[in-house]
Amino acid sequence: MKYMGQSLLKTIPVLLLITLIVFLLVRVTGDPVSLMLPETATEQERESLREAMGFNEPLAIQYFTYLSDLVRGDFGDSFRYNTDALTLVLDRLPATFELAIASMIIAVIISVPLGILSAVKRNSFFDLFITGGAVLGKAMPNFWLGIMLILLLSVTFQVFPVSGRGGLGHLVLPAITLGTGIAAEMTRLIRSSMLEILGQDFIRTARSKGLGEAIIVNKHAFRNALIPVVTIMALQTSTLVGGTLITETVFAWPGLGQLLVQSVNIRDMAVVQAATFIIAIFVILSNLIADLIYRFLDPRIKYD
Amino acid sequence: MKKLWLLMMMLVLALVVAACGGGEDDASTEEGEEPVETSDSRTLTVAYGTDIVSFDIHDHNTTSTEAVHVNMFNYLLTNQGEDGFQPDLAESWENIDDNTWRFQLREGVTFHNGEELTADDVKFTLERVAQDETLLEHGNYNQIESVNVLSDYEFEIVTVNPEPAMLNRLSRLGSGILPQEYIETEGWEVFLEQPVGTGPYQFKEWQRDDRLTLEAYPEYFGGEPEWDELVFRSIPEDSTRVSELLTGGVDVAVNIPPTDVARIDNTDGVSTVQSPTQRVMMLVLRTDDDSVTGDPRVREAIDLAIDKQAMVDSLLEGAGTVTRTRVTPGNVGANEDLYEQTLYDPERARELLEEAGYGDGLELTLTGPNGRYLKDRETVELISAMLSEVGITVNQELIEWSAFSQRYQERGFAEMFYIGYGNSMFDASLALDRLTAEGAAGESDYDNAEVNELLIAAEQNMDPEEREQQLQRAQELIAEDRPQIYMFQLDAITGINDRINFEPQLNEMFYADSVTLN
Amino acid sequence: MAQVTENAAPQKAASQSSFKKLAKRLLRSKTGMLGLIIVVFVTLMAIFAPLLAQHDPAQTNVVDRLLPPFWSEGGNTEFLLGTDNLGRDILSRIIYGSRISLMIGISAVLLAGAIGMVLGLIAGYYGKVLDFIIMRTVDSLLAIPNILFMLIILAVFGPSLLTLILVLGGTTWVVYARMVRSETLSIKERDYVRSAKAIGAKDFRIITKYILPNVLSSFIVIATLNVATTIILEASLSFLGLGIQPPDVSWGLMLSDGRQYIATSWWVATFPGIAITITVLGVIFLGDWLRDVLDPKIKE
Repeated sequence: MKYMGQSLLKTIPVLLLITLIVFLLVRVTGDPVSLMLPETATEQERESLREAMGFNEPLAIQYFTYLSDLVRGDFGDSFRYNTDALTLVLDRLPATFELAIASMIIAVIISVPLGILSAVKRNSFFDLFITGGAVLGKAMPNFWLGIMLILLLSVTFQVFPVSGRGGLGHLVLPAITLGTGIAAEMTRLIRSSMLEILGQDFIRTARSKGLGEAIIVNKHAFRNALIPVVTIMALQTSTLVGGTLITETVFAWPGLGQLLVQSVNIRDMAVVQAATFIIAIFVILSNLIADLIYRFLDPRIKYD
Repeated sequence: MKKLWLLMMMLVLALVVAACGGGEDDASTEEGEEPVETSDSRTLTVAYGTDIVSFDIHDHNTTSTEAVHVNMFNYLLTNQGEDGFQPDLAESWENIDDNTWRFQLREGVTFHNGEELTADDVKFTLERVAQDETLLEHGNYNQIESVNVLSDYEFEIVTVNPEPAMLNRLSRLGSGILPQEYIETEGWEVFLEQPVGTGPYQFKEWQRDDRLTLEAYPEYFGGEPEWDELVFRSIPEDSTRVSELLTGGVDVAVNIPPTDVARIDNTDGVSTVQSPTQRVMMLVLRTDDDSVTGDPRVREAIDLAIDKQAMVDSLLEGAGTVTRTRVTPGNVGANEDLYEQTLYDPERARELLEEAGYGDGLELTLTGPNGRYLKDRETVELISAMLSEVGITVNQELIEWSAFSQRYQERGFAEMFYIGYGNSMFDASLALDRLTAEGAAGESDYDNAEVNELLIAAEQNMDPEEREQQLQRAQELIAEDRPQIYMFQLDAITGINDRINFEPQLNEMFYADSVTLN
Repeated sequence: MAQVTENAAPQKAASQSSFKKLAKRLLRSKTGMLGLIIVVFVTLMAIFAPLLAQHDPAQTNVVDRLLPPFWSEGGNTEFLLGTDNLGRDILSRIIYGSRISLMIGISAVLLAGAIGMVLGLIAGYYGKVLDFIIMRTVDSLLAIPNILFMLIILAVFGPSLLTLILVLGGTTWVVYARMVRSETLSIKERDYVRSAKAIGAKDFRIITKYILPNVLSSFIVIATLNVATTIILEASLSFLGLGIQPPDVSWGLMLSDGRQYIATSWWVATFPGIAITITVLGVIFLGDWLRDVLDPKIKE
């Protein structure tokens, strides 16, 4: 409990820093006023809008105004949609969540067995094959894989729908697209953590007791190898969310990623701020949870 | 080990089976997964590259958004090009003096919420956009001084100056008539969430960046709508949009890349249609003395060095038309002698550069947007390559649209920039307004006294014939002076499912009621 | 960042094996050897691009556009791997593209590595407030996905070779900082560091003499692997329209441009895709081999 309290306490300065980063990013993006007014607007009209939006205040004051708004949950209005930015972002969360979780499931399904197998059959042809496959999965940019999957499985074989959000069928291709890169990374990490464990004393002891290799792998090594997998999954959250920017664009998936790409493109900075902040909280939370699970699973680590 | 493999295979299998099941379920309810030639669904699904911007018809300037809005809102009248203006919400109109237009409103038109359309709604709508300076369409309506309501079905529009293009202004983006009472009692926020118009289709649901669903409005004054339901999907990635068309996911897909035309046409059940648009792609050049392009010989050399026909044939695979004027046929005042014309003579270009004292070559900067127009980046690359053939070194500067439009507003480009202008007014005067001395200041700095005079006179000339001559003469002079060098008029390529008939419009609007089931 | 967890454990002073031993082990590792060959090959290709390329990579030719590779019908040996949509020779563009792809990959990693190394050493060695500030900054940057960060910055400053390298370097340094810090923390508690401190050695000397060399092996492994990640990131940025801009050419740009032609002219995107895959494969094999050699935990 004490540890959890400390971890939570630590996130406060992190969150503050994130607000500062996000704020600065947005303030250096140039003059939002020129995008908000028609091009026929006079300099005077621009100036009065600037004044009204508070862009003429010193940066420090603007930041504190921004912070106090933020505490009240006010991220400003999207100028594209003329509505509250936070609401827009929260509306998109379920779609992105759905995609992210499905991708994670696919990544685990692929990577756990392959990672373990290639560690057990280390340096075999099979291992080489999987390692090569993992590199291939890593080397393939998301957009490329997505387009290829659509052409193959939607257009040629018509197994899955092409794009959009709907039933489970709509989820498969984007989830594979997003999950493959993560799976590749996880396969490699599971392999090496398995290798580490297989070389440890208790496994040697088990071997010397004459236990079968399958039992050793299943009962002892596999369980222990799962512990770092949890951490790895959490660490991939940020990559995963980053991947949605591209995957959602390719598959016309109405989630946070597409919202972000389009908002950046038209400089709808209130939305960018709100979305970035929500994502950051999400990533921090998942790391925190992973940390706790890790400590729970691995009795060797003590609560200090 | 075998167990693990088995487990994995089972999981994958389960996922695939589940997914297929899910896919089929969806197909029957929303999209029609099966090849479409058999489908007679009364839902029409249309794929655009972007979502609509807003339901505030006055606060956007996006053609693709307007293309959707025309199914929900009506203008007072529609511009049918050669056939002139046709009544829509207005039954008749007359120009009673230079500054006053009197309209007779159609009776018995109701908004989707049951409210009846009266002249007060027209006054409310037009005066809002004419007076609120923060609206993006304000600049195209601020010529309206006031709207005077004479009776429930009769009103007058008074303009600030004589306004020959008044009807053009009233039949385009932002001209839809809004329900005054609904907006005033419920507020704009409610209207933007639950928009109400007079059109054949009414609002049902909007999932941002995914789909907008409209349903038939049975009381539509123009008769029973053609479709039960319209779905406008937003699919930003070109290849995904094409794939949706090829699998029958959508009935209509706009902005098909030229490369995919043959592939679509060779697939049974789908085809493409090409039609000219109002968009003309051009280079805008600085003509002031401080720029190398200030020398008319240099501008001519640039024009002659670029093989526009080759660009149309290769990059656009034929989906465009070369032109020497930005005012293409279908517009008031178009000079058709300059249409389908182009100049290409690299030999002469080299000579001209020699004469201008640039025999050893010259260097200039060309700025273009990246990803805004069809093949914009490739066009800039090709222009640069062609110019380098005659000894002009081009510094290409490709920037993404927001940054580009900011520079555009600041008029901060170097010697040349590449841009495509649309023209929803269908009138030459407004198409050329950036070439008057005032309009060109800081951008091309073009200042030809005769052109200036012609354009300013045409702006307020209420004699259509004389006005047309003024505009045509100005285009001739501009073609010689080259403050703008025209590349080509873009065609719209639309992919359609063979179950429907679709006639593309010059103004790129999508009138669902003109689309019929085969 | 995932590698951090693996390397977080304390390490012995590595890289004590002599060069000969290394070479021997390299020869024994099939994948390591393959990785080295690929990396050397690509590097040579980048260096000698002007000699190797048959055509000017920017030379357009609208008549010969979208020609297939020479072995397909309609292709010819002048354009071995065919031409792209503007009639440019794809092979020449791949050869020239290797320059920018590698330059971005390597420079960004060097930049990120340098920042991360310095800040990681400071945080780990001095601890306290400095550590707190640096590590909280690391945590905040880690909470924002790289690609989102880059998207925003590049949209503002406009993509160019320099901004790309700065942005890629400026956002990925956190991985190194984390790793270096945790290694430094454990190394500085070792006896030889303590005794050096006791006899009054300067901080700078302790850091450079005792800590840096011990951190270096994990550092090299991560850096190598990150070259691969950076090359792929650049391709993703190209997809979003914020990668390298013409007339420069990179593999990522070619791949992203070519996606429009996947169904009609497969070669436009396939060859740059293969180039990326092979290079990434090479780099990762090399990095894995380095880890096996330098990381004592996974000794054979």
